[in-house]
Amino acid sequence: MNLGAFILKNALRNTRRALLCVLSVAACLFLFVSLLVCLRELTVPPEDIGASLRIAVRNKVSLTVQLPARQGPIIARVPGVAAVTPFSWFGGQFGTEEGTPFAQFAVDPAKFAAMFPDMRLPADQLANWIATRTGCIVGRDLAEKKNFKIGSRITLRGSVWPCDLELIVSGIYDYEIDSTSLFFDHKYLDEATGNTGTVGAWWVLAENAEAVPGIIDRINAAFANTSAEVRAETENAFRMSFVSMLGDIATLIGAICTVVVFTLGIVTASTMSMAVRERFPELAILKAMGFRTRELWAFILAESFLLAALGAVLGIGFAIAFYRSPPVVSAMSIYFPVFEISPRIMARAAIVAAGLGIVASLAPAIQVARLTVVDGLRTLD
Amino acid sequence: MASSDPIIRLKELTKIYQQGEIRVTALDGIDLDIAAGEFVALMGPSGSGKSTLLHIVAGIDRPTRGECWVGDIEVSRLNESQLAEWRNHTIGFIFQTFNLIPVLTAFENVELPLLLTGLAPRRRRELVQTALDIVGLSDRSRHLPRQMSGGQEQRVAIARAIVTDPPILVADEPTGNLDAHSAATVMETLQTLNGSAGKTIVMVTHDPRAASFGSRIIHLEKGELIRESATPPGGGTPA
Ligand SMILES: Nc1ncnc2c1ncn2[C@@H]1O[C@H](COP(=O)(O)OP(=O)(O)OP(=O)(O)O)[C@@H](O)[C@H]1O
Ligand SMILES: [Mg+2]
Repeated sequence: MNLGAFILKNALRNTRRALLCVLSVAACLFLFVSLLVCLRELTVPPEDIGASLRIAVRNKVSLTVQLPARQGPIIARVPGVAAVTPFSWFGGQFGTEEGTPFAQFAVDPAKFAAMFPDMRLPADQLANWIATRTGCIVGRDLAEKKNFKIGSRITLRGSVWPCDLELIVSGIYDYEIDSTSLFFDHKYLDEATGNTGTVGAWWVLAENAEAVPGIIDRINAAFANTSAEVRAETENAFRMSFVSMLGDIATLIGAICTVVVFTLGIVTASTMSMAVRERFPELAILKAMGFRTRELWAFILAESFLLAALGAVLGIGFAIAFYRSPPVVSAMSIYFPVFEISPRIMARAAIVAAGLGIVASLAPAIQVARLTVVDGLRTLD
Repeated sequence: MASSDPIIRLKELTKIYQQGEIRVTALDGIDLDIAAGEFVALMGPSGSGKSTLLHIVAGIDRPTRGECWVGDIEVSRLNESQLAEWRNHTIGFIFQTFNLIPVLTAFENVELPLLLTGLAPRRRRELVQTALDIVGLSDRSRHLPRQMSGGQEQRVAIARAIVTDPPILVADEPTGNLDAHSAATVMETLQTLNGSAGKTIVMVTHDPRAASFGSRIIHLEKGELIRESATPPGGGTPA
């Protein structure tokens, strides 16, 4: 026998308690990891090449207030701007479903491909879309879900707009960040609504990343003191403003994480405390035999690390397997296109687990330091 | 056998427990020499200070006053860490409750004190084997404590006490939890260790039959030595 075997045997001697402790650590770490991924998804969208070049321009009052279409050519003339497209939410109903079952945006098909370089759409389908005024493109996931094929007809009943759209699928795109939306030609929207001369928002593509801050300033300045002042911001900032529209979820999730970790600390600490207290006589004997307090500390620390590590492996491992399983992936994709447990998040969970191991062994360490052989022996009687 | 050279020498040894107003004098100026190779039985009524005396000699408790010499070391002068190391190779402990670790086999329990020594695993195995041989339990080395009788458990505890080959064994009522037959076996084991291995043994007991195995019986009362009686060499018989 070596010290490692001794520690292992001690840790697992009360099998049920060790198991319960490991399981509760695992459950809490699963929750912790899930929350961290949500948090990351909300605050840091997945990187794509275009994101750093894209600027969203919306009405300064609110995202829901329209902008005049005449702003388009003015924005296009701002130095450093490569392309501009209107970006209007349609929000139509489809089939017999209640509400808006998937996102629909009116855009400028001719500018669209350049705007989203990471989006993959075969050239012939793009050409087809640009050529067809009632054409639309749909994301791969949406197409599979609704069984849309090229040539399929889609009727959208306007709920915001008092008109219906008769669309025909010109192409199916693949895009990591979002493949559940429908895009169609803004000209068709204008025609259907009787040309209101407004758009929902503008998306602007900069020629290079260095130009972005200057473009943002110029666009904001261009419409200052007009009837439709705008707010231009980077895509990431734009996403963030969405998040804050939903309330301060990030703070909430952070708070839940703290509570989870705190609870976990209490669970493991009480487990270790109990485990050590009932072993007082034995620990006293070990001391009598010549084991020093610091050696007993090492045993306790190792034991509590072991329990925390087993829990971590189980919890994080389960989370990885769970969020990769196809049914979960497809269910989550509505809210989070990429729900991935990154190495960074795993590392954070592992650090939490290690911290737990230390915290849980603090109280027992003090108990053991205070324990004298004679007192320990007395607890036998 | 017993030489005249004292291995344990107690001078004016006093232990006072002070708890608020109450003051308990557990040991009251004990002077005692124990020669190497002696087998001393400590007897006396409950609360007379027997365990306290044993604990101080074994370096797990400190006197309030007086000196406790073991060999040429004044035990109460050592710090905690020095004491721990000193105990590891000087004192073997045997208790009334056997205190084996339930999840370890007899072999592993005996091996525990050796984990501190840095000996090679092979050497450790040999030493454990020898210790189990001495107590007559080499065939039980793979057994867990709950698979053994009380007497066997206590003999495993004795093997654990002697595995580092300490010159002194201390035993606090080693037969207190055992039936007469197991008690006799344990006492014979201790007698062998005293006789052929030359261990100095200090044993607390309430049992006159157990005490009769000793070479010398010391009576304590209210923390004082009141009387000493020698037993015939070779000790008594349990029956
Ligand atoms: N930690 C302590 N605090 C206060 N008093 C103590 C403490 N330990 C022992 N005593 C007292 O010291 C005296 C001697 O105790 P000790 O345990 O040495 O007796 P003993 O002879 O071994 O008795 P027993 O035969 O019952 O084991 C007793 O009166 C006991 O109450
Ligand atoms: Mg006692």
